[in-house]
Amino acid sequence: MTLFVIDYPLPWSNILLIALFGIAIVFVVLVVLVYIMRLFGYVFTRKHKVTNTKAPLAISEEEVVAIVTALRLYNSALHDKESDMLTINRITRMYSPWNSKIHGLTQMPEHHNK
Amino acid sequence: MLSLFATDFIENSLMKFIQTSGLMAIFSEGGYKYVIMICISLLLLYLAIKHKFEPLLLLPIAFGMLLTNLPGANMFHAELFAGGHVHWDIFVGKAGLIDYLYLGVKLGIYPCLIFVGVGAMTDFGPLIANPKSFLLGAAAQLGIFLTFIGAIALGFTPAEAASIGIIGGADGPTSIFLTSKLAPDLLGPIAIAAYSYMALVPVIQPPIMRALTTKKERMIKMSQLRQVSKTEKIIFPLVITIIISLLLPDAAPLIGCLMLGNLMKECGVVDRLSKTVQNELMNIVVIFLGISVGATATAASFLNPRTLGILALGIIAFGCGTAGGVLLAKFMNLFLKDGKKINPLIGSAGVSAVPMAARVSQTVGQKDNPSNFLLMHAMGPNVAGVVGSAVAAGILLCMLG
Repeated sequence: MTLFVIDYPLPWSNILLIALFGIAIVFVVLVVLVYIMRLFGYVFTRKHKVTNTKAPLAISEEEVVAIVTALRLYNSALHDKESDMLTINRITRMYSPWNSKIHGLTQMPEHHNK
Repeated sequence: MLSLFATDFIENSLMKFIQTSGLMAIFSEGGYKYVIMICISLLLLYLAIKHKFEPLLLLPIAFGMLLTNLPGANMFHAELFAGGHVHWDIFVGKAGLIDYLYLGVKLGIYPCLIFVGVGAMTDFGPLIANPKSFLLGAAAQLGIFLTFIGAIALGFTPAEAASIGIIGGADGPTSIFLTSKLAPDLLGPIAIAAYSYMALVPVIQPPIMRALTTKKERMIKMSQLRQVSKTEKIIFPLVITIIISLLLPDAAPLIGCLMLGNLMKECGVVDRLSKTVQNELMNIVVIFLGISVGATATAASFLNPRTLGILALGIIAFGCGTAGGVLLAKFMNLFLKDGKKINPLIGSAGVSAVPMAARVSQTVGQKDNPSNFLLMHAMGPNVAGVVGSAVAAGILLCMLG
């Protein structure tokens, strides 16, 4: 008994060419994408670098330190205004067996002698 | 007289009832095939529920398989789709529930809708940060074309061989899309093979990865990926759609839908749509797709030696794809400087199976170097594999469709 009726519809040279061209086209398309994405990355990382390098030109390092120190001193001198009154809010809860002490604790605790 | 008539009527009705029952069909000649198919569907349900083998898809597939193999239920009629096209002239008169659902597969709607959801769930950031990953995604498609040759050697037609080969892309929707176009008769076995092997990625890949790499290679630490801006992530789907659709129009439906979903996610202005395609739409389509694909696995199409051939070739496709990715990563390392070398383990993630294949790279890598975190690096080839398998499907469709 034969498992498969082997009747090749295409010559082997064509089959191999299809496979070879197939994988080659996959590579070509994805290599094109690699280059486009690299260009993409180059443009965007360059843009970042340009913005990063421009920043120090606008203001010197000493001035940044002075501003940060001034802000730190100013903020540390600030206090929230707090009320001196302390209040305890009484909360009344509806009765529920879930919060009932009677049901939650043992009423006659047993003493276990070790 | 009346009582005689009543007896005849009851007798006829009972006979008709018995003859139309499914049990009669099971005990008739060739009925054992239904029993075998029902047992296979129950086994798949067991694997999905107990062992969690891609349960989201395997469960509806197995249930569709069960429904279609219940004799007499007449839920799916393969003859309505015979010859690779829908026979509209007899469709309305004869179609059952699953025939209507199957139209979504036949017309290539479900795989594309699933790709919208997949796109919305995918972060292409690691791929944008390291475009070399595209090459690993391409190399992992090697399994598709090697299996294509192997399938022809086993006597399958080129269209069938291409559909079997695409199992190596480890991408369910792509496999279903291509098979529904090229070899609809094989849809059931191919879908089951593709999803079963995708669930078995953590079992199939590690031995191949270890066999092809040295411990030193597996310990390579890769430099941190650069940050990718939101603008880049928004432009990426647009660029990919335009380029791939122009180069390969046959891949446009899959790539277009994948990138549409991704654009919805990245642009940040259509959160409602993005959430819908990731959850509700995806889930609904998965149910329809699973049931209708499972329904194509009838006894006639499933119980033959060709199914065994497909299962064997499917695992070869997976193995070759994994090996292709790992070997290309090793080859690339020959030209890369120290500090920029690639850990070859991430090459295996080039077979799609997102994110399972990337997790396998991470797990295998951490066994040799617990402080090595390869997951994000592996996500690059992993999502490149999705693009690569869609491109490969487009090429095969163009050449053999």
